[in-house]
Amino acid sequence: MMFLNAILVAGVTALSIPLIIHLLHRSRYRVVRWGAMHLLAFRERHQKRRLEIQHLLLLLIRCAIPALIALCMARPVMTGVRSLLGAAKTSTVIALDNSDSMNVGNTFTQAREFAQKIVDRLPRGSEAAVVLMGGRPAPLLDQPTFDTSRVSYELSRQQAGFGAANVPVSLDLAAGILKKMHEAHREMIVISDFQRTSWSNTNAPAMPPAATFVHLGREEKNNVSVESLDLSRSLIGVGQKLQVRAHLRNHGDAVYRDLRVYFRVDGVERAASQISLGASEAGQVLFTHAFDAPGSHVIAVTVDVADALNSDNTFLASVPVEDCLPVLLVDGAPSNEPLRGATDFLEIALAPSPASLVATRTSNQADNVASNRVVVLANVAQLSDEHVRSLTEFVRRGGGLLIFPGNRINTVWWNSRGKALLPVPFTALSDDPTSISVQHFEHPALELFNDPRNGDLSAAGIQHWFKFAEAPTNTFVLARLATGDPFLVEKRLGDGSIICASVPADAEWSNLPTRPFYLPLMQQLVTYLASKATPPRNVEIGQSLVAVVPDDKPVELTDPAGERHRLKPESRLVRYDDTRRPGLYTLDTPIHFVVNTARSESDLEQLTPPQIESFAKTFGANVVTSWDEYRQLDQRRRYGREFWRPLLWLVIALIFVELWLEQKLGRSRAK
Amino acid sequence: MARARDSLTPDDLRKIANLQMFARLVVEGFCTGLHASPHKGFSVEFREHRGYVAGDEIRRLDWKVYGKTDRLYIREYEEETNLRATLLVDASGSMSYAGKSGLTKAAYAQRVAACLSYLMLKQQDSVGLVTFDSKVRKYVPPRSRPSHLQILMNTLEETKPGGETELAKVFHQLVAKIHRRGLLIILSDCFGEVSELMSALAHFRHARHDIIIFQIWDRDELDFPFHQWTRFDSLESVADHRLVDPIRLRSTYMENLENFRAALKQGCHRHRIDLVPLVTDEPYAVALAHYLARRMKTA
Repeated sequence: MMFLNAILVAGVTALSIPLIIHLLHRSRYRVVRWGAMHLLAFRERHQKRRLEIQHLLLLLIRCAIPALIALCMARPVMTGVRSLLGAAKTSTVIALDNSDSMNVGNTFTQAREFAQKIVDRLPRGSEAAVVLMGGRPAPLLDQPTFDTSRVSYELSRQQAGFGAANVPVSLDLAAGILKKMHEAHREMIVISDFQRTSWSNTNAPAMPPAATFVHLGREEKNNVSVESLDLSRSLIGVGQKLQVRAHLRNHGDAVYRDLRVYFRVDGVERAASQISLGASEAGQVLFTHAFDAPGSHVIAVTVDVADALNSDNTFLASVPVEDCLPVLLVDGAPSNEPLRGATDFLEIALAPSPASLVATRTSNQADNVASNRVVVLANVAQLSDEHVRSLTEFVRRGGGLLIFPGNRINTVWWNSRGKALLPVPFTALSDDPTSISVQHFEHPALELFNDPRNGDLSAAGIQHWFKFAEAPTNTFVLARLATGDPFLVEKRLGDGSIICASVPADAEWSNLPTRPFYLPLMQQLVTYLASKATPPRNVEIGQSLVAVVPDDKPVELTDPAGERHRLKPESRLVRYDDTRRPGLYTLDTPIHFVVNTARSESDLEQLTPPQIESFAKTFGANVVTSWDEYRQLDQRRRYGREFWRPLLWLVIALIFVELWLEQKLGRSRAK
Repeated sequence: MARARDSLTPDDLRKIANLQMFARLVVEGFCTGLHASPHKGFSVEFREHRGYVAGDEIRRLDWKVYGKTDRLYIREYEEETNLRATLLVDASGSMSYAGKSGLTKAAYAQRVAACLSYLMLKQQDSVGLVTFDSKVRKYVPPRSRPSHLQILMNTLEETKPGGETELAKVFHQLVAKIHRRGLLIILSDCFGEVSELMSALAHFRHARHDIIIFQIWDRDELDFPFHQWTRFDSLESVADHRLVDPIRLRSTYMENLENFRAALKQGCHRHRIDLVPLVTDEPYAVALAHYLARRMKTA
């Protein structure tokens, strides 16, 4: 047992007060010379004994009352053997939720201060680590440290808004760190707002015996978010119209009328719209914009609403605007007659007007492929080994390769020496007339055709086509023929992609080029493959930012917090990995990257306290909601349970017993 | 009688040092309101005549019978029926307790004894006196001479309380000393073992003595008016003392007192002994009234 206010234990000496009063009374007696001594004797011994016991009991109670009051004030703690561990060093891991939802109110400030208090109160020589749960969970410091002041300082610099909390990974990470720590007394503390979307379906990792869930923040339901932006083109050129469809959602029960939605390009407001959202309703707003200059641009859609969470009211997207998209068309069966060459229809489809984004160059050989974004091989019988190597390297570095078969191709060569480029080997030429099977297309290159207004792929008639061998696992079938055989097959190679069709691009074996969908189909395929050449500018949290820069001179990157990072390119490729914070990252060149986070954080519903309790039970953890509760819990764990409350009840009971006993003895005196 | 009680309180009479004077004052005052004494002229009573034999006193010859019959007859009388009373005054240590009034029980007992002696001798009764504690200190045989009063008073005045009480033992001794039946007036607090006391008194009763016990109490002994811690030192034994909290002891004391008095009363009733409790703050006339009432019964 120990005392929290040890100095007040001295108050126990108050028990001597009744004794002193008793002894004083006893010492100040008078003397009477008395005759009737035999009447002073107790008639029966047991009666005397009983009275003596009662008076002794009364004296003891009177002594006990002030002593117990002093003990109560000294706040005794039942410890047992735990007191030996009480001030022992501990290994503590704090999992701190720094997700977007923690920005509601001052929840994160509370959480941060809570964590700092925990760290500051750790016994001297304790080991501490912090895991940040938002986005891609990561430890605050590379290694657990004994320098708790440093942990506290680093915590003080933390902010929320790191996307959605990844609870399972965070807890696994924290448990893993804790396992490697050194002290026998281990503790894990999870500080979070227990947002339902983050905490549902979380499996319990192996938690230490002393695990605590700290639930902070109140549930706020009124929140509107811009959930996503759909861009009509993956590649866009100067002057081309880009349609931006913004998806908005009202996560709460409030009804919002005529919300203003702004469309900004590079920070300049370009358009505005209005939308009304009922309770739990979703809506869309469409903006159209044509960029007047090539380069990297940032578009932002912002809904003007006063709600609980501001960070999800704006959705950013980085849009690279191309000046020109060079495509090399390698014609394996050129013809002097119009529209008889293997690439004639393609040339028209890809560059229907001089203002087209795509600039085609037709050649008989696959030379100088590096200066192009996409290379199309149409009815090419075979390639030299050097061309195969250069094309392979071209694709590996992000280029796109589109292969169309034809009557001239050497299937034996393609299946053997050209197999590095071919996604799937050719097996046989089929003469069964068929058509393209229409289904829901998952591939981004064909998503356009999920809307029938953009063309009916099944309208084409195909007389001859190549069969492919069974598709290996690293390939993806974009579309199939009515026979079930693949129509378009994709293989990823390095940073680029290769798509191979089973039908030629000309009108020899099919009427594809004469169908209305031919032009958008070819445009989609080429722009898809071209976009592979440009590393993505809009990434998820945790994905690396990659850009091709003109030379290998160091460049600087500004992150969403405004911090600048100096990066050294390698082979003109610059890479930045620490994308835990969502928002806009800008390379000086300039190239913009947007790191997006899942908008699941916008649904601010929290687990109910009983749910948190039952959840904690499965984790074997305790739940606290305030610092005082935590302190008591920690005190109990370290030192045992405070028991001044039962002592106080005992004092009250003793006061009543004393009164009763006093009255009882008084009655017997009056008899 | 009521007037005497009112006028003569022990507090007033305490100032009179001379016991005889005191007794006279009390008794005279007491008797002032009484009717004519019912005991007047009962000194001799004729029983029979018998023939004269040589040696008989000439003055006892009945000359009237000689004149009628010419024979010498001696008149024989009944023995004198005057009361033979013996006062047994307790002089043990416990009798020396004095409460607020300052009058010890022993002093009160002596004065009551003096008053009774005076009264009885005035009525020509024989009065004896025994003072005792654990043994008989003084024994004055009963006499009815007026001059006997002085002896009694002197003996009483000389008596100082002290020593332990052993009533039963003393009484058993006295049975042998007091041959002739008479009235025994015991002035004592009767502290001691009741059963033994009763046994001794039964011994007296067996010797056909009438007994009146004037049990002397101090008011403190009846009320036990103590509050603070008190050490009670025995008046009879130096070694015996008891430090008690009177407040918590009082109930037990009162219970003991009741039991003691009840046992004494019951024992006296069984042996037809008059038990008259006297408190030292009560008038002495109470004792006289009790005595006279008893005397009338006896006569």
